[in-house]
Amino acid sequence: MIELKNVTKEFKIGAKDKVTALKDINLHVGKGETVLLKGPSGSGKSTILSLIAALNKPTSGEVIVDGKRVSKLADNFTALFRRENIGFIFQRYNLIPTLSAKENVIVPLIPSNPDPIKLEKRLQELFSSFSLDSKMGVIVKNLSGGEQQRVAIMRSLINNPTIIIADEPTANLDKKLSLEFIEILRKLKSSENSIVIASHDPLFFDLDFIDRQIDIQNGEIQCY
Amino acid sequence: MLLTPEIITILTLDFIFIFFGLIAFVISIKIVKSWDLNSTSQAQYKLEKQSFLVSTIIKYIFIVKLPLFLFFIFTADKLSDIITGAMCGAGVVNSVSFGSSMFFYKILNLYIFGFWLVLNNYDLKKENQPYTKYKFWLYIFGFIFLLTEVYLEIDFFLSLDVSKLVSCCGTLFSAASKSSISFIYNIDKIYFVYIFYAVFLFLLLGFMLKNSIAILLGNISFVFISIISLIMFFGTYIYQLPTHHCPFCMLQKDYYYIGYVLYVTLYIGTFYGVSGAIMSILEKRKEKFYYNVSMIFNTIYTLIISAYPIVYFIKNGVWL
Amino acid sequence: MQNKINRFLLDFSVLSIFRRGSKNIFIFFVFTLLIFLLSSILFISNSIKSELDTTLNELPDITVQRLQAGRAINMPLSRVDRLLAIEGVKAVIPRVWGYYYFANAGVNFSVVGIDSFEDQYRDLYSKLCDKFDFDRLKKDSGMLVGVGVKKILQNSFYGDYFNFVKPDGGLTKIKIDGVFKGDTKLESNDIILLTSQKAREIFGMNKNEAVDFVVKVANPTEIPNIARKITTLYPDSRVVTKEDLSISYQNLFDYKSGLFLALFVISAFTFFMIIYDKASGISSDEKREIGILKAVGWKIDDILKEKFYEAFILSFASFVTALCLSLFYVYFLNAPLLKNIFIGYSTLKPAFDLPFAFDFQTNAIIFFLTVPIYIAATIIPSWRVASMDADEVMR
Repeated sequence: MIELKNVTKEFKIGAKDKVTALKDINLHVGKGETVLLKGPSGSGKSTILSLIAALNKPTSGEVIVDGKRVSKLADNFTALFRRENIGFIFQRYNLIPTLSAKENVIVPLIPSNPDPIKLEKRLQELFSSFSLDSKMGVIVKNLSGGEQQRVAIMRSLINNPTIIIADEPTANLDKKLSLEFIEILRKLKSSENSIVIASHDPLFFDLDFIDRQIDIQNGEIQCY
Repeated sequence: MLLTPEIITILTLDFIFIFFGLIAFVISIKIVKSWDLNSTSQAQYKLEKQSFLVSTIIKYIFIVKLPLFLFFIFTADKLSDIITGAMCGAGVVNSVSFGSSMFFYKILNLYIFGFWLVLNNYDLKKENQPYTKYKFWLYIFGFIFLLTEVYLEIDFFLSLDVSKLVSCCGTLFSAASKSSISFIYNIDKIYFVYIFYAVFLFLLLGFMLKNSIAILLGNISFVFISIISLIMFFGTYIYQLPTHHCPFCMLQKDYYYIGYVLYVTLYIGTFYGVSGAIMSILEKRKEKFYYNVSMIFNTIYTLIISAYPIVYFIKNGVWL
Repeated sequence: MQNKINRFLLDFSVLSIFRRGSKNIFIFFVFTLLIFLLSSILFISNSIKSELDTTLNELPDITVQRLQAGRAINMPLSRVDRLLAIEGVKAVIPRVWGYYYFANAGVNFSVVGIDSFEDQYRDLYSKLCDKFDFDRLKKDSGMLVGVGVKKILQNSFYGDYFNFVKPDGGLTKIKIDGVFKGDTKLESNDIILLTSQKAREIFGMNKNEAVDFVVKVANPTEIPNIARKITTLYPDSRVVTKEDLSISYQNLFDYKSGLFLALFVISAFTFFMIIYDKASGISSDEKREIGILKAVGWKIDDILKEKFYEAFILSFASFVTALCLSLFYVYFLNAPLLKNIFIGYSTLKPAFDLPFAFDFQTNAIIFFLTVPIYIAATIIPSWRVASMDADEVMR
């Protein structure tokens, strides 16, 4: 499903200096698998996520998703690949605060000019499964933290992704909201989806539905 | 030099075209020289990003150029009020020796820039971007044509002179004139009509057989024969005057601006035909959408233009 | 090339414009003001042009004046017969007219003397003679005045008559027989019509003199020929044909609006720089937003398209707003201040309304000089934003 082969990623700092964020990483995530990447901030967890989502290209090595070499794709196709396969859940939700809940959720579909009737149906489904039917038209910044979180999750699901990527999803949440999030995540786990979470929140460390935990230190995988 | 608001407008936009065109030109040269999709170097990454700037600029130039071309014709027509002797745009344009070549470049550029966008569209649809180098080569030539066009246009405006006496279209489009196309006035005009319909039938045949080469050649010939037959034969029926051959006067209000309808349909029809045919050859499959649009518009053109003599004949019982 | 309009993207762009409200309001305001100035100037010049065109059409084919020491002096009526003898001349009409300075209001009136219906050289006057009884005018030596004149006289408490001061200081009292409204206000607003005899009296002119002659020609193509013959016959005459006037007016106006436009183009480029600068300054919020969009699957092209929609909506809204504002300003408010650029003498003449002249060409000029320039200014900044690295949002 997801494969990283000998991936190295360097970032340039200034004209000459560079920082090696990832060193010769090999990683495989199977279909229906839920994987947690853990390690301190700056260890390279987020870089792995951005490489899987083809937001960035490795300096060397290959990233293969569903048999497609996403590390070789041109911008047009990485975007299409994300649109069709990836659901993104960011740290601090990353919603557009002045748009309504509904407008935020449809953002990923806008470029493909969706059929309004089908879209409306899909939105109804999503909003009712997250019991936010009544808040569809509310501007996001007027929603509570928990509601904003659910909107962010709905946005990542609107395109029926096969891979869900969560980057430090509980970093800015209190305990109650974090637990709520974990419950939602549990429901999302299915035999069709792969889920990759990057987090150093101990709440994730002993969850029954997480299949594997991978420890990353200084850009290298510590134990499989 | 005339400093009318229209001319200032056109010159200002010309300046913008050249400014942005130049940026795109420089990037295109870099891309043609060192484009390598397989490379993961920073340089290639930068070029990939810059290629989007080029396509944005070309889109911009094309989109503004289309209505600006009509505006140019409109302006030439308006200038005929001020310039002594000119009755319509033809007189104004031909008041300088290079007037018709300026026009040729203007039209050619509309085809080139339009086709660039078609090619770009196909290029970005495939992961290996097979046409990248072609399209940037095409733009390098397109930019040179654009420069030529703008140069001629500026020269044209500079040479316009209110006090100079120019010919009206009546003398320009007649056998007596010495212009480059006047020799064709000695040929019996009925032949042009035969050729026109023959080319149209050829197009129709090519369309039914979906033969790309036939469609390509047919459309290119159709542009030329349509304009020639319009000047030689069909135009006279629009004006209902056997001696009036001007391709410009029909843009005026007296003829219900029919010229704009004719030229726009002809452009759309042949543009889709030529682009579709080239793309079919490159893609090795039939681009039916382009063929259909092309055939529809070429047919509309043929129907409108044929209606003029037929209606005239029905009303008057004789040909001109 | 299936470029269907994407309604969702359009909605998103509109909301985007409002999201960066203060920046966009500033741009909208400056841009609208700029377009407003441009379109007002063009509307005024168009309007005056169309007014002049109407006037020029009514002008006589040839006007003949007599010059002495380079200044126009009166024509002896004795010359009429010799001019009539020139082949192709249909009629020669001596005119008695001039300006009367009304010191009380500080304005000039155009006083025009007319003789009878047959002699009329301008449609307006013949129409007036049809409507008002010329014989009555003659009998009680009254006058017809334009609307503007009537208003000014009323302000000076002249209800139904007016006392002209003659050159010798004596007074001539003339009754107002009627008020007329011409086709073109610029021209006829300040006119006073009375009999030639009375006009001569007011101006203190000799009985066998006229101010100038108007020559009517049977065949318009003969006008230049006849003009030449007149100059040969009377070398002291200045001969002005209708075409001379028309071309010089046209040039004057193109020159004046051209000069203004040249200034406009300079300010438009200044504006171009402002937009460029404004669009280049991306806030961290905006940066993050682009990152989000890219992460959820927007292509560079999609973001560019969104930016294009934004630029187009904003500039087109400015364009339409400015157009409406200047239509209101020029044709409803009568263009205070700006009008004076084009009619230098307006303070000396009674006020007039600008006639409505709205054409495709002018609007096309305004459009091409504004909206594409604005969009051009946003090309490079938009591209910069769109091609930013998407993983910023992850850091």
